[in-house]
Amino acid sequence: MRNDAFSKCHPAVNFLFFVGAIGMSVVIQHPAYLTAGIVTGAVYYLLLNGRKGWKTILGLLPMFIFLTAINPLFNTLGVTPLFHLFGRPYTLEALLYGAAIASMFVIMMLWFGCYNKVLTSDKFTSLFGSIIPAISLVLVMVLRMVPNFIRKTQQITGARKSIGKGAAENASTKEKLNDGMTVLGALTSWALEGSVVTGDSMRARGYGCAKRSSFMIYRMTVTDWALLFIMMALLASTVTAACFGQVTAVFVPAIDLAPTSWGLATYTCYLLIPTALHIKEAIQWHISKSKI
Amino acid sequence: MAHFEIKDLNFSYPTAKGKKSLDGVSLSIERGEYVVLCGKSGSGKTTLLRQLKSVLAPHGKKTGEILFNGVPLEKVSQRDQSAKIGYVMQNPDDQIVTDKVWHELAFGLESLGCDQKTMRARVAEMACYFGIQDWFHRDVANLSGGQKQLLNLASIMAMQPEVLILDEPTSQLDPIAASDFLNTVRKINIELGTTVIITEHRLEDIFPYADRAIVMDGGKVIANDTPRNIGRLLYEQQNDMFAAMPTPVRVFYGANGAGDCPLTVREGRNWLSREFTAEPVHKAMPVQTLPDEIENPALSLKELWFRYEKDSPDVLRGVSAEVPAGSLYAIVGGNGAGKSTTLKAICGICRPYRGKVKIFGKPVEKYKSAELFGGCLAMLPQDPKSLFVKKTVREDLAEMTKDEKRIAEVAETCQITSLLDSHPYDLSGGEQQRAALAKVLLTQPKLLLLDEPTKGIDSFFKEKLAGILCKLKESGITIVMVSHDVEFCAKYADMVSMFFDGQMLTTDTPRRFFGNNSFYTTAANRMSRHVFSMAVTAEDVVALYRQNKEG
Repeated sequence: MRNDAFSKCHPAVNFLFFVGAIGMSVVIQHPAYLTAGIVTGAVYYLLLNGRKGWKTILGLLPMFIFLTAINPLFNTLGVTPLFHLFGRPYTLEALLYGAAIASMFVIMMLWFGCYNKVLTSDKFTSLFGSIIPAISLVLVMVLRMVPNFIRKTQQITGARKSIGKGAAENASTKEKLNDGMTVLGALTSWALEGSVVTGDSMRARGYGCAKRSSFMIYRMTVTDWALLFIMMALLASTVTAACFGQVTAVFVPAIDLAPTSWGLATYTCYLLIPTALHIKEAIQWHISKSKI
Repeated sequence: MAHFEIKDLNFSYPTAKGKKSLDGVSLSIERGEYVVLCGKSGSGKTTLLRQLKSVLAPHGKKTGEILFNGVPLEKVSQRDQSAKIGYVMQNPDDQIVTDKVWHELAFGLESLGCDQKTMRARVAEMACYFGIQDWFHRDVANLSGGQKQLLNLASIMAMQPEVLILDEPTSQLDPIAASDFLNTVRKINIELGTTVIITEHRLEDIFPYADRAIVMDGGKVIANDTPRNIGRLLYEQQNDMFAAMPTPVRVFYGANGAGDCPLTVREGRNWLSREFTAEPVHKAMPVQTLPDEIENPALSLKELWFRYEKDSPDVLRGVSAEVPAGSLYAIVGGNGAGKSTTLKAICGICRPYRGKVKIFGKPVEKYKSAELFGGCLAMLPQDPKSLFVKKTVREDLAEMTKDEKRIAEVAETCQITSLLDSHPYDLSGGEQQRAALAKVLLTQPKLLLLDEPTKGIDSFFKEKLAGILCKLKESGITIVMVSHDVEFCAKYADMVSMFFDGQMLTTDTPRRFFGNNSFYTTAANRMSRHVFSMAVTAEDVVALYRQNKEG
């Protein structure tokens, strides 16, 4: 994983940021805000993924065009018809509305992409472990089980292949199905056997004999608290702006956009937090390196 | 006051129809003692160990009493037992509960409801003591078997137990990881004074350091003494367990030695030096040399190159070998060197991107799958469990052939006739290995590939397995075996190859191979090389000793 300053913050900070970013991106349709969302999301996504990130971003482009173009086919409202398709008007307003919806979609994809990189499963479980220890333990165990199952399946099919069992390439569907069931059966008894040992191992280490606590490997530092405070402030002001109708955008039948205001500034600042942290650390590192 | 006091303990499983799994066991284990519990598979070792921790004690009929620190075990609270009695099991994988190393370390402390500050301190302490810092943040899935077992130990030690109970902890590990693990256990015993009760097959690494050895047979304690005396006792009783004793002990009694019995290689060397002050007359064991050319090899590998993924490093880097028909060919070498991959390449599970595999003179890709695996080639995988898919051993064997006579024959060869109606998972490690072997043999292979056949098997079962392999060899089957077990290879193989850096570096007969090595060789050779040469098994050393002494 790349060195990213925001990823090193407390998982609670990471989580709340993404809740805010993704939450707002699904309600705000104002083009200025959408542009801010796309740009900041894309920049941070590229910082996290490097050159490989371009591939995903370019991959989103056809999706954007498709979603934009398809909206006017269903939505014929709008005062400026561009042309007629199947006897229905294809309007500019509906097209722009489509672009807005497509942008929302792209922003969501970008932030979810970042979320996956930043909030890894162990961070997520450790975050919720302190609130609901039992559920988070189950989650951890399930997460471990899936790759285990895949590995064991490969082992069983490999072992069967080396004694000439298992469906050949040209076997009929029925044979393949039969073989699959056999492997599944073996896998199940193997897993049950394993879970008995796991259960023993849990009870041997005192599982269930006291109220569970949760080991927090991450600690809230002063920076984390400060960041949390700034985030809350920016978020609150953006929400306030929204409540005063400053982010409202109407596309059909006629375009009517609210004038941009301080809400856009706070929103952009909010979304720039991870990028800013990343760049700040990169610069600091550069300076301290040049001092040596 | 003894740490653990067991008074006349009897136990029988509900399904055993009155047969006692533990029969009048009385023991007393002192604080800080290092006790090794040995016995054949099924002698009641695990049953006894599990009785020492209430949550793990199996259901069944139990009489007698167990006192922990003078208090009956049932009266010790669950919480105290969890913290004070640590228990490490056999399987490194299944014991782990969580997905991250740091989380696993903290698991026990979380269960006890410790506060953050204590947990932080203890986890940090344990990570440092066990050298886990470097992989503290790793996923459990990416650890090696040895690391996993060390993690299991560390996560129990984090609860600061007074007693550590280990049930065959190294049976799934390779020898190097195993001796690392056992050294750590010994360090814990010496540095922290934790009482250790351990069962093990690999006695060479434990016996010299244990304070006491307890031998069990059929649910009874048949001997309970210092390791040195146990060796003598088992020898005098002609007990099967004598085969499990460390090499120096076996050589000493095999040669009818007098005085104190050596337990370590060093003591063994000194003993031999005292016995042979002058150069011995018969110095070397006879050696066979390899023929220059092998005619009609059963298997020939030529310059195999293979890697798992396009960008990953090569695992096989020009593997070449020729295996004469009707021989037992052993491949030894370090962990992850590519030995198992070689076997996979032979049976076509992995396709080398360069090189040739010829089986009985015919390239492997020319064979049809049914032709290759029906009566030509078969492989016994490392974990025998991966071959079991049915509810009983009999059904599993019936999956291979309908011919009941053949099943009976093969079951007889592998000595599993009495186990046919059991569930494969109820068998012990050695029994599972033989049941899996039976299943593999039903394909009637002419070339048999074995991946670590002696893993997790005690010495008694190893001899049985060796007997079966010899019989197969006599019937004309060629066997290629990958193993970490140098003693086994030295004793039974016809040819041994060293696998290193993706290649077969040297190939020779076992005596010349191990006789010329000074590190990667058997204990018998290390112990005797200053007096004899080419003596690689305990039997070799005994034979030379007798020849010289008897004239």
